[in-house]
Amino acid sequence: MDFIVEGFAQAFSLIIHLDPELLNIIVLSLEVSGIALIVASCLGVPAGSALGLKKFRGRGLLISLSNAFMGLPPVVVGLFVYLLLSRRGPLGFMGLLYSPSAMIVAQAILIFPIVTSLCHSAVVSVDPIIRQAAFTLGATPWQTSLTVMREARYGILSGIIAGLGRAMGEVGAILIVGGNIAGYTRVMTTTIALETDKGNFELALALGIILVIISVLINIGLHLIQRKGMVKILR
Amino acid sequence: MSLELLISNISKRYDHTTVLTDCSFKFESGGIYVLTGPNGSGKSTFLRICALLETPDSGEVKYCSDGQLLAKDISLRRRITLLLPKIGVFNTSLFNNVAYGLKIRNLGKNSALRVAHALDFVGLLTKKNQQALTLSSGETQRLGIARALVVEPEVIFLDEPTASVDVRNTEIIEDIIRKIRKDGRSIIMTTHDMYQARRIGGKLLVIKDGKIIDHPG
Amino acid sequence: MRMRKASLLLILVIFSIALTYAQAPSAEIICASTTSTENSGLFGYILPIFEEKTGIIVKVVARGTGAAIEMGKRGDAHMVMVHAKEQELKAVEEGYFVDRHDLMYNDFIIIGPENDPAQIKGLKSAHEAFSKLFDTKRFFVSRGDNSGTHTKELAIWKKAGLEPKGQKWYLEAGQGMEKTQRIADEKRAYTLTDRGTWLATKDKDNLEMVIVLEGDPILFNQYGVMAVNPEKLKHVKYKESIEFINWLISKEGQQAIGNFKDKNGNQLFIPNAQ
Repeated sequence: MDFIVEGFAQAFSLIIHLDPELLNIIVLSLEVSGIALIVASCLGVPAGSALGLKKFRGRGLLISLSNAFMGLPPVVVGLFVYLLLSRRGPLGFMGLLYSPSAMIVAQAILIFPIVTSLCHSAVVSVDPIIRQAAFTLGATPWQTSLTVMREARYGILSGIIAGLGRAMGEVGAILIVGGNIAGYTRVMTTTIALETDKGNFELALALGIILVIISVLINIGLHLIQRKGMVKILR
Repeated sequence: MSLELLISNISKRYDHTTVLTDCSFKFESGGIYVLTGPNGSGKSTFLRICALLETPDSGEVKYCSDGQLLAKDISLRRRITLLLPKIGVFNTSLFNNVAYGLKIRNLGKNSALRVAHALDFVGLLTKKNQQALTLSSGETQRLGIARALVVEPEVIFLDEPTASVDVRNTEIIEDIIRKIRKDGRSIIMTTHDMYQARRIGGKLLVIKDGKIIDHPG
Repeated sequence: MRMRKASLLLILVIFSIALTYAQAPSAEIICASTTSTENSGLFGYILPIFEEKTGIIVKVVARGTGAAIEMGKRGDAHMVMVHAKEQELKAVEEGYFVDRHDLMYNDFIIIGPENDPAQIKGLKSAHEAFSKLFDTKRFFVSRGDNSGTHTKELAIWKKAGLEPKGQKWYLEAGQGMEKTQRIADEKRAYTLTDRGTWLATKDKDNLEMVIVLEGDPILFNQYGVMAVNPEKLKHVKYKESIEFINWLISKEGQQAIGNFKDKNGNQLFIPNAQ
C-alpha cells in the first residue's frame, strides 16, 4: 500500500512543479491527437454530411461500413498502418514508421469512421422541414446542404469531440507505429504503459491523473454540447 | 412585378391514391386566391407543385412575366415563396432567421434595416434577438411570414397558415395577410376554414375531384 | 441419483485442487535478466541442463538492466543476471544483493545502415565513431533504459566528451535491444548493440544493417550474477538461487555457457568466472 501512496505523492509533486518531461509528453499527446482529429474531421464531416444529404448508389453500404469501422480495434489499425509504413511495406520509401507522423496517420484512420458516422447521424436527424424551408426561401442545393449542416452543428461537434476522446485514450495503435521513443513518439498513454512496466509509478500516476482529468473534461464538454442541442429538439 | 401562374392539366398520385386529376387554373398577377376543401383533398399537394417544391406526374406548371415564359431556375424560385403549415425555423435568433433569405441572395450586408422592417411587419421586432425555437406556434408562423416577406417575393403561397395557431395569433396573421395584399403581391393560400376564407376575401376556390373550380356561391 | 452425481463432482473438484497444490512446492525461482541475454537464446540452452540436474525451475523475466536490478531490490525476483558491473557492485554495497560473481562476457558492436552515410567504417575507436555521429547528426537510437548496453553507450559518449541527450537525432527507445535495432533499421540509424542479440536477430528481423565498428576494448561486455539479500527480503528463495549461481560459476556451468552456440554456430558468450 505504501508504494501507492508514495506514488501519488510524487505524482502530485511532478504535476505541481510542472516537470518538463511531463509537460513534453502532454504537449506531444495533444499535438498528435489534435492533428489527427483535424485531419479526420476535414475528411469525416464532409463525408458524413454527404452520406446524410445526398442519395446515391452504394450509400447504404457506405453508411454500414462507416458504422462497422467505428468498432475497429485500435491495435489492429496499428498493425495495418505498421505494415503499410515499414521500410518493406508499400509506403516504406517515405520512412514514416516510428515517427509522430505515423501516429497521426494511425489515429486519423481510427477516428475517421467515428466522426463520419456521428456526423451522418446528426445530419439525418435534422427535420426534413428545414430542407423544405431552405428551398422555399430560394436556397440553391449547395446552400440547402450548408443550412442543414448548420442546423446539425451540435451533433457534428459532438461527433468531433467523441473522436478526440477516443484518440486521447488510445494506446495500441500509436504504440505499434510510434515505437514509444523518448521525447519523440512517447505520449501519455504509451508512457503510462512503459513506466508502469518499468516500475516507475510516479510518472505513470502523474500522467494517469492528467489523462483522467482531460478525459473527464472532454466528456463534460460533450455532455454540455449535447444538452444544448437537445433543448432545441424539444419543440 | 407581374408574375402569372398557369397550371395546365396536372395530375399527381401518391402510391395508389390519385390526388389531382387533369387540374388546370390560371392565377393572375397581384390576385388573392383562397383555396378551400376538406383535409386530404389535395390542397397542400397542389400548392407544393405550384411552388415547384414537387413535380406533377403529368401536366405543366408555367410561370410567365409580361407574356414571356420563364425557365424554372433558381432566379424564378427566388421570386416566389411557400409557407408550409409547419414552419422549418432555424436554430438561431429571430433576426438570423429573417436575414437568411437575404444572406443566400448575397444581400446580407446592410440587411439589418430590411430585417427589422420585416419583423416589425409581423409584430415581432421586440423579440428580434430571442432564440427562434422558444416562440409559440403562432409567433412561429409570423416569423415564417417575416422570413418569406423580407426577400419581397412576387407570389406568396400559404399552406394552412393558421392551422395550429391560437385565436389571438390567427387574428394577427389574418391582419398580416390583408396587409400583404395591399402591397400588390399575389397571394395563394389554402384553408379548411370557410369563415377564414371569407374573412380574407379574394377569389374563393375549391378542390373537387382533384380539380380546382370556382367556389359555388 | 442426483446426490451421487453431485458428490462425485465435488470429489473430483477437491482432488484437482489438491493435485495442483501438491505440484506447487517444486522449487521455482525467478531470475531477472536482460532482454539481450534472453534474445540470445542462452537461457533456452542452459536452464534445461540445470533443471534436469537439480529439479529447480528457473523462470527468467527479461527487462533492461536497470529494471532487472530494481526487480531484485523489490523482491519481485530472487536473483539477477545482468551486464553492468558498476551498477551491480553499487547495489551489493547498498546491501540489496549478496554473492556477486563475474560470469561471462561478450562484446558490443556499433551497427548502422548498409551504405554507412556517416562513414564510420574504418574508424578504430568507439568514441571516435560517436564523435563523427554527433557531428554528422545522423539518427542514433539509444536504449535509453539504464540497461547494460545503455550504460556502456553513455560511457563511450563520456569518453568522447559529448552529451547527446536532447539532440534531435538522438532517439531514446527505452525498450529492449531487439526493438531498438528495429527502430534503427526503420529510421536508417546507428545504434550500439551486443553481438549476441545482433547475431540472433539480424536475419530473423530482416535488418538491412551492417557492423560498422567492432573490437575496441571499451566495447567489452562483462556479465555478472548476484542473489537478492535474504536478510533484506525474507521471502526470497535464497537457497535455490545460490544453488543456481554456484552451478553457473562451476566448471560444469561455465562449460555449458561456452558450449552454447547460436544457430549459425557462433559462440556468443565467453565464460570467465573465477
